[in-house]
Amino acid sequence: MPAPLLEVNNLVVEFSTDAGVVRAVDDVSFSVAAGETVGLVGESGCGKTVTGLALLGLVPTPPGRLASGSIRLDGQELAGLDDSSWRSVRGRKVAMIFQEPMTALNPVFRIGNQMIDVLRQHQRITRRQARAAAIEMLAKVGIPAPDKRIQEYPHQLSGGMRQRVMIAMALSCSPRLLVADEPTTALDVTTQAQVLEQMVRLQQEFGMSMILITHDMGVVAQSCSKAMVMYSGRVVEQAPVTELFARPRHPYTGGLLASIPRIREQRIPELPVIEGTVPDPLNLPEGCRFADRCNKVRDYCRLAQPELKPIGRADSKVACYVPD
Amino acid sequence: MEVLLYSLRKLLAGIPLVLGVTLISFLLIVYFGPDKTYELVGKNPTAEQIAEVRSQLGYDRPFVTRYMEYLREIVTLDFGSSESTDEKVSSILARTIPVSLLLALPGFILGNALGVLLALVAAYFRGGLVDKLIMGSAAVGMSVSYLIAIIGFQILLSSADGLDLFPVRGWDTSTPLAYIQHVTVPTLATVFVALGYNTRFYRAVIVEEMTRDHVRTARAFGIPPAKIFYRNILKNSMVPIVTRVVFSIPLIVISGSLLLESYFGIPGIGKVSYDAIITGDQPVLKAVVALTAILFVVAQLLTDICYRLVDPRVSLGASTR
Ligand SMILES: Nc1ncnc2c1ncn2[C@@H]1O[C@H](COP(=O)(O)OP(=O)(O)OP(=O)(O)O)[C@@H](O)[C@H]1O
Ligand SMILES: [Mg+2]
Repeated sequence: MPAPLLEVNNLVVEFSTDAGVVRAVDDVSFSVAAGETVGLVGESGCGKTVTGLALLGLVPTPPGRLASGSIRLDGQELAGLDDSSWRSVRGRKVAMIFQEPMTALNPVFRIGNQMIDVLRQHQRITRRQARAAAIEMLAKVGIPAPDKRIQEYPHQLSGGMRQRVMIAMALSCSPRLLVADEPTTALDVTTQAQVLEQMVRLQQEFGMSMILITHDMGVVAQSCSKAMVMYSGRVVEQAPVTELFARPRHPYTGGLLASIPRIREQRIPELPVIEGTVPDPLNLPEGCRFADRCNKVRDYCRLAQPELKPIGRADSKVACYVPD
Repeated sequence: MEVLLYSLRKLLAGIPLVLGVTLISFLLIVYFGPDKTYELVGKNPTAEQIAEVRSQLGYDRPFVTRYMEYLREIVTLDFGSSESTDEKVSSILARTIPVSLLLALPGFILGNALGVLLALVAAYFRGGLVDKLIMGSAAVGMSVSYLIAIIGFQILLSSADGLDLFPVRGWDTSTPLAYIQHVTVPTLATVFVALGYNTRFYRAVIVEEMTRDHVRTARAFGIPPAKIFYRNILKNSMVPIVTRVVFSIPLIVISGSLLLESYFGIPGIGKVSYDAIITGDQPVLKAVVALTAILFVVAQLLTDICYRLVDPRVSLGASTR
């Protein structure tokens, strides 16, 4: 098997707050193969966005910092890069799309200018060539009359259109990896489906890898080959999607799957509710962080944290003492 | 054309504001302001003498009639003559407003330009030593009173105990050199007290723009910091900055700086307004009040037009989003 495109090992991201140090990402390891789409799911605040930001060196510093761990992308170690080296990685090797398309673009410049800036940042091309490339990308993501749209300001576009512009911008420099942080959550239901389909189609066309952060297990089932479930800053389960849906090993994953809406259109903005709450990141328990909400909890679950360990024949891992 | 139509509409919409401000001010002037009668009648006046002076001053006519006359004066921009000096109000304004502008503008421009500059530096290094140093100095500057700053600079620069470089008081604009000599100390004092406030305000604005989503987007695409600073942060900060600057303009034009003008004995509009309030010189007061209101309407219009220049989301058309 060839070396994976992205290999993250023992990643730790910490934020220093007034109340103390919060580990938003705690010892996270995973890999993404070339051309693969990996889903990243978990409750609000479990560290998905911070994990994504860390891959681009965008953790706000201060208060945050990459405390330890390694991020290897395409053979290059990214952890510890200086600012100017990061700049040649961002956009060109790994790009990110954010959740909120309404505010993600600069309101005072035309979208064309913003796309041209990005293109010319990473390629030695003239403005004219960049403009042509931008128009072509806009057409690719399904924006009608792209040569007119390129003249418009972000506020003149709908949310769906803006997110398409973001996708076009992200794909324009052909990055190896795309991190999509809940790219469709802010859109209405029909637009969600369209934008997502477009994204997956283009990802395949470009042969890009993708980390798709989402709340929606349906989206994972549809678009990802592998999924990671995060809970309170840690990965609790990681498995091929078919495996994960057929046989969720972690009780938390089981809970998530149990409440997927059956009807395709009935999308949910938040993950299904599981009784109880996430532990306070400033006051974490010694043992398994899910113990208080788990229906299979044993006494020894509360003694020490379970490690993420391989399980079964497929390429699955779970961090649980009593996996299914 | 769009701008012209918009300006016209906006100015018309400003009429109620001018009416409201002038009505309230005039009420206060007439019923609560000083009465000039007793100054003019002399000692031991008879009832007839008093009545005569009052009718000369127009005090005996009904309020509505007098307010209507005021409105007519505003429209024709003819406020008659000062009751104290008999000089025509228009000539008083023409004489004093340029003085106030020349006195206040250098400090105003420097105070804002330096404020933006320091704010940019502080915001760029926010949380760091440079930031703390700048904001600490700003806090110190803010807590020094205007008068203390004036006296301090005077002792430092104008007195025999200090450098003795500039005249202690007075005003002279006959040559550029004379102007610079007279304007330096007031300007330094103004900048000293304004800079703290300006820096704090502008830093808050810039820091807010620095944390916007689109700044993160630009970073996520490898755009270099200098470009982000200019295109994402500075450009988006322009709206609040322009607002603050433009809205300070009526204050400099009309109220001038009373403290500066009276302290240095400079014949500007601030001094004239102050004297008019003390003596109840109604023609001058009426002119100052009306002009201030009108200038605020114009400033509002100017800010809107500036918005349009920096922010494409603002449309001057009928439909406001
Ligand atoms: N700027 C910050 N300062 C301090 N703590 C932060 C900051 N950003 C994130 N965190 C911490 O990191 C944790 C994880 O945040 P993150 O945004 O990654 O969650 P998420 O999984 O993306 O949630 P959501 O589904 O709501 O987007 C938060 O609970 C918070 O404690
Ligand atoms: Mg998030």
